[in-house]
Amino acid sequence: MSNRIMIIDDEKIVGDMARISLEQDGYEVETFLNAAPALERLKEQKFDIVVTDLKMKGIDGLEVLRTVKDLYPATKVIMITAFANLDVAIEAIRGDVHDFFPKPVKIRELKESIKKALV
Amino acid sequence: MLGSILSRVFLPLLRGKLPGLSRGKKTGLGNVFSLFKKVLESNNRALEAITDMGEKLGGAYIFDINYIKQSYSVLSSGLRESIGQFNSLTGNAYPIGAAFERIDSLIGRMIYGAPAGGGGEMVLFYEDITWDMLRETGGKNFHLSEIKNAMKLNVPDAFAITGHAFDEFIRHNGLEKKIEALSEGGAEEEKLRELRELVLGGGFPAPLDAAIGSAVEKMKARNFSPRNKISLAVRSSAEEEDSEFYSFAGQFETVLNVRAEKTAVEEAYKKVVSSLFSEEAAAYRKGMGITGAARMPVGCVMMVDAAASGVLYTADPLGVRKNAMIVNAAWGLGKSVVEGSTGTDLFVIGRGEGGEKPEIAEVKTGEKAAMTVASPEGGTKQIETPPGLEREKPCLSGQQVLELAGVALRVENHYRRPQDIEWSFGKDGRLYILQTRPLKVSGREDEREKALRPGGKMNPVLMSGRGFVVQRGTAAGPAFILERPGQMDEIPRGAVLVAKNDSPQFIRVMPFISAIITDTGAPASHMASICREFRIPAVVNTGNATQVFSSGQELTLLAGEDGGMTVYAGIVRELVEGGRRGLAEVEDLYEFRKKRYLMRYIAPLNLVNPLTDDFTPEKCKTMHDIIRFIHEKSVQELISASREAGGHSALRRLDLPVPAGIQVIDIGGGLAPDAKDPVRMEQVTSVPFEALLKGMTQPGVWHAEAVSLQMKDFLASMMRMPDITAEGAGYAGRNIAVISGEYLNLTLRFGYHFNLLDCFCSDRPGNNHIYFRFVGGATDITKRSRRIQLIADVLKEYGFVSSTKGDLITARLSNVGREEIVRILEQAGRLIAFTRQLDAVLADDASVEKYRDRFFRGEFRF
Repeated sequence: MSNRIMIIDDEKIVGDMARISLEQDGYEVETFLNAAPALERLKEQKFDIVVTDLKMKGIDGLEVLRTVKDLYPATKVIMITAFANLDVAIEAIRGDVHDFFPKPVKIRELKESIKKALV
Repeated sequence: MLGSILSRVFLPLLRGKLPGLSRGKKTGLGNVFSLFKKVLESNNRALEAITDMGEKLGGAYIFDINYIKQSYSVLSSGLRESIGQFNSLTGNAYPIGAAFERIDSLIGRMIYGAPAGGGGEMVLFYEDITWDMLRETGGKNFHLSEIKNAMKLNVPDAFAITGHAFDEFIRHNGLEKKIEALSEGGAEEEKLRELRELVLGGGFPAPLDAAIGSAVEKMKARNFSPRNKISLAVRSSAEEEDSEFYSFAGQFETVLNVRAEKTAVEEAYKKVVSSLFSEEAAAYRKGMGITGAARMPVGCVMMVDAAASGVLYTADPLGVRKNAMIVNAAWGLGKSVVEGSTGTDLFVIGRGEGGEKPEIAEVKTGEKAAMTVASPEGGTKQIETPPGLEREKPCLSGQQVLELAGVALRVENHYRRPQDIEWSFGKDGRLYILQTRPLKVSGREDEREKALRPGGKMNPVLMSGRGFVVQRGTAAGPAFILERPGQMDEIPRGAVLVAKNDSPQFIRVMPFISAIITDTGAPASHMASICREFRIPAVVNTGNATQVFSSGQELTLLAGEDGGMTVYAGIVRELVEGGRRGLAEVEDLYEFRKKRYLMRYIAPLNLVNPLTDDFTPEKCKTMHDIIRFIHEKSVQELISASREAGGHSALRRLDLPVPAGIQVIDIGGGLAPDAKDPVRMEQVTSVPFEALLKGMTQPGVWHAEAVSLQMKDFLASMMRMPDITAEGAGYAGRNIAVISGEYLNLTLRFGYHFNLLDCFCSDRPGNNHIYFRFVGGATDITKRSRRIQLIADVLKEYGFVSSTKGDLITARLSNVGREEIVRILEQAGRLIAFTRQLDAVLADDASVEKYRDRFFRGEFRF
């Protein structure tokens, strides 16, 4: 059974690029353009990895992180953001984020991080 | 004559009247130099941003629009700064700011999605289409007008009905809402059919009606011929069509042989526009992941009375034949060729040395049973090839094939990528180009596929080595024999479609079938193009596949890299697992390619050769071009400012072991702090000057003894005397080096020749250049020209681009690292010393080669 990965980013190209790259490695990937439906989906389906944008309208990445950890403590969350700032990074790390990438994200690095998260 | 050449070359130099110098905008060489360095710095910031964008948008990174906005703003602000400094350097001599604004606004529209420009014209004749009108005219019109206007190729008279016209037509008929509703999903077929009907029954807004009417009249008037009635081909030119990414081959309507009358053209226009809403086109867009509203500009091209027509690929789309072009041709109009409805002649053209010397490598004459001709009542019809035209003889002469190949090479060079070209030879014997678009070429075969090939030996072979492979790959599934088009809806998922003819209609089923095999068909057909885009393994023209296979029979097709094919009975697992149609790649994403598209206006370098007339701000198409232009002209400015500094008070003599008589002006860091007058050679700290002097003063290179001149050389120099003495009195005997730590501008006058070398030599290869100019001499023009030839040969060896004219050479080298520059400058120093009196011994043409080889061997004796 292949691992399930959820991608949340309000820009379509980010989800698309991540999905295509990860599907090539055999992962099952679902993408969402905002957090609310993604969190709905999480209630019915467990994912091994959630890759989420930090800054989104409505529910932001930190809230996604908290919700995911409440529902599935074992699920790893990877944060990607264009607006890296130290405070946010610290908060994310406290919230047990697995990894934190500034955009643009090198696909190879994202894949390596996911591989590590699944060990 | 000689005098006039020399005075043309010398006098401006000696008078210091080079561009910019008389405008009095800058104060002193030091200032010019510091501005020059500032230009380089801001150019570098812009170049770094370009490099970064190229990397991040190259497919290895996930990026978002914020990244594009940020990095583009770094790029554009760097360039704005450059332009400001450049303008003070040159006294606003060049309209480079306007060129920048033009490209910047285009990119800005792409990033921020503001409405596109275009003057709101509804109809544009091809000669009025400019490089930034792609969106308004669509791909087909745009490319065709470009080769007509820029390359002066023989394209029939034509006009475009623009994207703006399309918008007006849609608005006039109240169809906007219905088009929007398409993307909401549900009952798609129904919605598409309704839209097609509404378009076909639609009316024309008065301005569009008038514009089409007057365009048709204009075309009639300027092509009037009492014998031939002109008629038009009305063709789709949708925005994405014929683009770098999508061909939409055969998905939209073309109406051929339309009477040159307003109403007939308008009827054809509606047919073409309605095809935007065909199920095939909708399936293609969906299959390719294209979203958003489509627009349909249309092209109206005068019909060619064609003797023979066809398609040329400038490369083998399968990548099998290396360095070859491929022509498919048939009698009459090209319709039969692109539809694959008749046998065609195949010409394989070897591209020869350097890909530029075409020769016919292979001719396969096809059985051309049918041909398409214009019907007298309008439209076209396919008829049986009449007895006068022999079916089994090639429809093109060898000479015609080579003429076509020559034109195709030019088109490919223009676009710098393989092209798919539609053409006709008219009954008037002239070659017409009807379409050109990028050709999709398959990459190398997957290693995996190769390794697994032997696995197929286990199963019986049903068919082998037949037909043309149009898309490589491996696929398996139950055969479905298509007896008639109406059965298309019955094709099961994963089937291998086996059909009599190839047809672009198959697009509807392509997303879910696994392969296509046909009895007839041509590798240049629309279906073939689409199979390549969808990566569906396909073989056409196998002769009798519909008889060999039966519906439901399990097959495995292996269409190989070498153009060979094999069909095995059953499902060969190990083949299929390995060769399965590749998963989608990032490159296939529409959004990705659309975003990356803006790099077209940023990264490519079109302004390559500063020695051509095209080196102007107006010809800048990309940000990189602008940087290049600024750099080149800044160098020119520096050169002329250095030359002007001949009267500088800070001149110091340079003490050299050879009598070169050079004086030095240091504008910063070029000499050791303790250097006095005269300067000793070891006190030169300028990197380029030091290197040049090292070569120039190498023992044995400089000829101290005078080489004897012959009488006619004497006469020649006597005759030219006034040119130099009259104007150059103040300059005579003055050899001047303007230097800094990284810069050298050296002007030398030895006897009757004049030598200029300008060099910037820093840690950044992109900033570095050597400019070399040599003119004149004491001997007769033949010998002087031989010396120029030798210099050109030597400089070419080091990568210089040069232009020569009589006894003048200007040569440039740029983008070379510091160490390489130093090495080349040492050689240039030797060259200057070696060639000083060389012309006198260049008695015949063979001596050029002799002395050149000696130079390379390091033998400097005459």
